[in-house]
Amino acid sequence: MVTMTPYRSTVESSRDGFPQLLLSEWTKLRSVPRWGLTMLAAAAATILVGMLLAAGAGAQSAGGDGSTAGISPQFRDAGSYVHRPLTGDGSLVARVATQERNDPWAKAGLMMRVSAQPGSPYAALMITPGHGVRLQSNFVTDLPGSDSGAPRWLKLTRTGDSVTGYESADGSNWSKVGTVQLEGMGPTVETGVFVASPDALKLLRQFGGEDISETTNLGKASFDNVKVEPARPQQLAPWKSNGNTQVDPNATTFSLVGAGDIGFYQFATDKTKTILSGAMIGIMALVALGVLFITTEYQQGLIWTTFTASPRRGRVLAARAIVLGGAAFVVGLVASFAVFLIAAPMINQGKAAPASLSDPQVLRGVVGTAALMAVVAVFSLAVAAIVRRSTAAITTVLLLLLVPLVASTALPLTVAKWLEAVTPAAGFAIQQTIMRYDTAIGPWSGFAVLCAYTAVALGVAIWRVQRQEA
Amino acid sequence: MRHSLRAEWTKVRTLRGNTWLAVGIAVCTVLATAGATAAVSTAQCPTVTTCFEDTARLALRGVWLGQAVVVVLAVLMMSNEYGNGMIRTTLSAIPRRVEVLFTKAAVISGIVLATGAAGAVGSLLIGNVIMPANGFTPANGYPPLSLADGPTLRATVGTVLYLALIALLSLGVTTVLRDTAVSITAVLTLLYVVPVISTFVTDPEWLDRLRKISPMTAGLAIQATRDLDRLPIGPWPGLGVLAAYAAVAMIVGGVLFVVREA
Repeated sequence: MVTMTPYRSTVESSRDGFPQLLLSEWTKLRSVPRWGLTMLAAAAATILVGMLLAAGAGAQSAGGDGSTAGISPQFRDAGSYVHRPLTGDGSLVARVATQERNDPWAKAGLMMRVSAQPGSPYAALMITPGHGVRLQSNFVTDLPGSDSGAPRWLKLTRTGDSVTGYESADGSNWSKVGTVQLEGMGPTVETGVFVASPDALKLLRQFGGEDISETTNLGKASFDNVKVEPARPQQLAPWKSNGNTQVDPNATTFSLVGAGDIGFYQFATDKTKTILSGAMIGIMALVALGVLFITTEYQQGLIWTTFTASPRRGRVLAARAIVLGGAAFVVGLVASFAVFLIAAPMINQGKAAPASLSDPQVLRGVVGTAALMAVVAVFSLAVAAIVRRSTAAITTVLLLLLVPLVASTALPLTVAKWLEAVTPAAGFAIQQTIMRYDTAIGPWSGFAVLCAYTAVALGVAIWRVQRQEA
Repeated sequence: MRHSLRAEWTKVRTLRGNTWLAVGIAVCTVLATAGATAAVSTAQCPTVTTCFEDTARLALRGVWLGQAVVVVLAVLMMSNEYGNGMIRTTLSAIPRRVEVLFTKAAVISGIVLATGAAGAVGSLLIGNVIMPANGFTPANGYPPLSLADGPTLRATVGTVLYLALIALLSLGVTTVLRDTAVSITAVLTLLYVVPVISTFVTDPEWLDRLRKISPMTAGLAIQATRDLDRLPIGPWPGLGVLAAYAAVAMIVGGVLFVVREA
């Protein structure tokens, strides 16, 4: 009689810990050539479409897009400025006698800056028709004063590295508006009066589309009683204008006319977003991947094996989401860095500041694109786990992402912006590096909207997969 | 041919999801039109008389959404059979493969023509209800949309034809790719890619070129009823571009269908 030894696997039984789960999900992703090819397609589409868009935009912007050399395309440093040097501590006083009220943000007032060079650090105390007295510095700081308009007395005082603004109705009783710090101030600063006005956004619906244009608003204002204190003779170098107009060196009254704004420029071209927009196409492949990564198992019945091997189904789904998201992030990172490095030189023509990875906003856009691709893949996975059918899941996710973007080409801007802010398509906001008139939502808040959709979908998916028969 | 037609019709009719999808074509079109027309009013124009709004085109905008349902229905008609192996039964019963593909094309076209017509006419009707409230009144130069008007009739019929061509394009692509998910992704990408990236193409010449060769933007030129000279491509040539896409997809699909093992 022969005794049979029952077969025993020589493989040691492993623990069903989370790392093992991650490993098994990674093996599933890695070992199917189709998944790898899909990721490759996503990366290729991102890079190719990005290059195409950069080539198209590069040819167009070679002439420059209105922004000044050397400063971020987000800002403009234009307008009309009449200035003279001020050495050491001192003040500039003037009365804004009249101001043309053609824009709520038209600006007329006093300015001190490190140099006359556009883009140099500045502090500006101004009157605006719609927002009262403001003290602004370096494009981003904005301190409110009273609600008064012209005529109004203004005073700007330098003490060391700080500049303080005052306002007054009569030129003798002063109230403080605020103090700003200016970096890089040498012993001598440029000080003077300025006029600026933002370009107006004209939104006109015609011929079934929205015609969006910027029209120049000429800022106009007159100043009197302009004087520099203390009036030491060596400070009284002649007034100079930032245009080529001649100014009376001893004038105390000025009438200025200036086009362009000092501050945010809402018509700037977002070069980084243009380059990275190929991700919109690459992402479609990732949607398919995210959906199929789960529905294929339902179709083939492999899901039974998976759930038998690890009965805690919620954790299986979580592990799968992490593996897929991680893989998509890595692929996205390679693609977005590649397309940026290839396409940035193509689009960095013209005189506007180039898009560079050393700019934190640009870096956020590039890395954020990878995060966006990862979250969209996980979102697709979650939707697929809920509806279980590839057809329904893919169509739903693609339409949620695409329709808001397509709608912007035909619907009024306000409606398109609203759609773009409340749907998962808001996640694309992470790619923008500047604020524009058509910006629907901030980069991080937009990304948070997408993450919220994904978290809810993943929660419902885990709840569903635990309760239902596979 | 009559038998294969009946066989295809039975296959389509008896799948419950298909009924919903067919109804969905009309419903999604009308709902999206309701949204689009509600969003546009003469108040956004410089003046009421210089709006030049193409109200027929606006009211037919719903196909932007409705076409996605057409894609799903047409893709499933072919890919389902590959998914569950039914294709082998079909080809055993009707070994003439060209005939199988033709009947499938005929059946899906018939369904889409019927539901698309319902969606298009429904869109015009709901547009006539919503748009006057937003200032598009006869007094302002916007008479109610009517099929008695030549250009409106052409836009409406063209929209229905557009949907049928989208169905044929989807069927052809699916015959090549066979897989549901891959086919749907491919067709939707092909349709929406140019509209999506067009906001980032700043060069007007490039934009014009892209809009001429994109099946969706070229095909939908058929919906324009006024200011035709502003279109990147004329209405019928535009629909012709889409027809060319559909023809190429069907021919390549047909050749592969005959040559390949099922």
